[in-house]
Amino acid sequence: MKVWILLAVCLAACAVAPFIGPGFSADSADFIFWQLRVPRTLMAMLVGGTLSLVGAVYQSLFANPLAAPSTVGTTAGATLGALVAIILGARLAPGGLPLITAAAFVGALGVSLVVAAIAAGRRVRMNDVVLAGIACSMAAGALATGLQFSADSAELMAATRWSLGHLPQVGYSGVLLLTPFAAVTVVGLLALTRALEVFIAGEEHAESQGVPVRRVRTVAIGLGALGVAACVAWCGPIAFVELIVPHLVRRTLGVSRRVLLPGSVVVGAAFLALCDASARVILPGRELPVGVVTAALGAPLLVSLVARSRS
Amino acid sequence: MTTGLTLDAVTVRARGRTLLDCVSLRVAPGDFVAIVGPNGAGKSTLLRVALGLLRPDSGHALVDGQDVSELSPRERAARLAWLPQRLEAAEPITALEQVVSARYRFPESRRASETAAHKALAEVGAGSFAMRPITELSGGERQRVAVAGLLAQETPLVLLDEPANFLDPAHQLELYTRMGHLWRAGRGILCVTHDVNVLSHAHAPGTRAPRVVGLFQGRVAFELSHDAPDLGERLGELFGVRMLATAVDGHRVFVGLPRSGGAP
Repeated sequence: MKVWILLAVCLAACAVAPFIGPGFSADSADFIFWQLRVPRTLMAMLVGGTLSLVGAVYQSLFANPLAAPSTVGTTAGATLGALVAIILGARLAPGGLPLITAAAFVGALGVSLVVAAIAAGRRVRMNDVVLAGIACSMAAGALATGLQFSADSAELMAATRWSLGHLPQVGYSGVLLLTPFAAVTVVGLLALTRALEVFIAGEEHAESQGVPVRRVRTVAIGLGALGVAACVAWCGPIAFVELIVPHLVRRTLGVSRRVLLPGSVVVGAAFLALCDASARVILPGRELPVGVVTAALGAPLLVSLVARSRS
Repeated sequence: MTTGLTLDAVTVRARGRTLLDCVSLRVAPGDFVAIVGPNGAGKSTLLRVALGLLRPDSGHALVDGQDVSELSPRERAARLAWLPQRLEAAEPITALEQVVSARYRFPESRRASETAAHKALAEVGAGSFAMRPITELSGGERQRVAVAGLLAQETPLVLLDEPANFLDPAHQLELYTRMGHLWRAGRGILCVTHDVNVLSHAHAPGTRAPRVVGLFQGRVAFELSHDAPDLGERLGELFGVRMLATAVDGHRVFVGLPRSGGAP
């Protein structure tokens, strides 16, 4: 029952999102609505759903509520790749967004594969993998800072803008390019639900109950990296979504993996679509980066939920 | 082909220490083998080798004639089930979901898994808390849920890793009595413990006795029947105390005493 109400609310939120925003004149309505707002909302749904699911899966996999693509290095790798592209690409080919996207994708995948390779080891504790992820994040972050330090002011502005997280697309090309990656990630990860349920009692216990633990965690991290790399490549590191949404779902619908994983997809899609819509109206005449909104909205929401469940 | 679990000259070394030294052991369906020994004797290592979680440096662990490390996890889970000391409960999933996860090896629908899980929970008297989060259960209740998982996995061999360590006497009695039933129903049981007295719960008077294997510093010190007259003496040597066997209501009990006889 609760599940259906939440599903209806989320669908309604996604449907309403494109209508939120400053009014527009009748002659530009068609363009703004169909070429800007609808593709933006679709993009937000794809990104929000994918990031949240990956977050939920990582939390299950690492048995750690803090595990998320941003804590195991995926996001930092993407940021590094994008910065390299912004700083080199700005000199080589001005305005080359696909170049930035491709570089961010390579960066995210590169770091994630290092972490996945560590996770594939025979006798590896998941905490070590989180630690390796944090180390990779720091290394990538240090390189990125070094690059920013040597950049000129225009490049620095572009880099800052990118690293705040944004959904800047006009038209449907981004949506079309992202859809296959998001689809592979979501379908692949949801197919692991049964195995991830068994993971709750610990990896060795899961192994004794028939789960190919090493294969599951390698596939899950690989798929997660693929989806997150694609999202981050297009939209920059949108903060907190992958951390907040699974916790929201966990605290409202429960921890059962069969609810948590699909629930994270739906709630994540609606959450980011709404955040994107609010980004259009919070500052009149200006648009905030959506990453700022997710953090500003999501963090208090999470804190209040945590506080309420403690009392 | 030999059925059951066979350890064949298993040796495990780690960081220059020999944890298991040429250990050979056999547990066929219908056998109850208890591994006893002091802390650090290699009992847990032995269990991890049998489960295929640890590959021995030399020797083999075979299940139904096949090397455990060469079986797929699913094939292994069809033959061996494991009851840990304590069920980890990282998340407040329900007892039912916990038991359903033991059905992972079966290619069956969710509904079939839930039916089997309900049946297993009812069998251990845990039907009433099937829908409660396992994090809210007491240690005894949680171990009952773990036993339900063991039953739901439907394996011919069962490995127990000091499963009564955190239980009060009533729950210890209940657990080992149930293991005794499973044993007499034809399952093979390998049980690691340092408390030899729990075995008397599994050993119904007038029936076959479990086999007791003493493990000391990674080696098999002795292998005796639970009935053997010199078992107390051998156990005493194993634990470095004087151990006397006595009988209460037909159950064999061992009492550890200081070696000198008087006050320590």
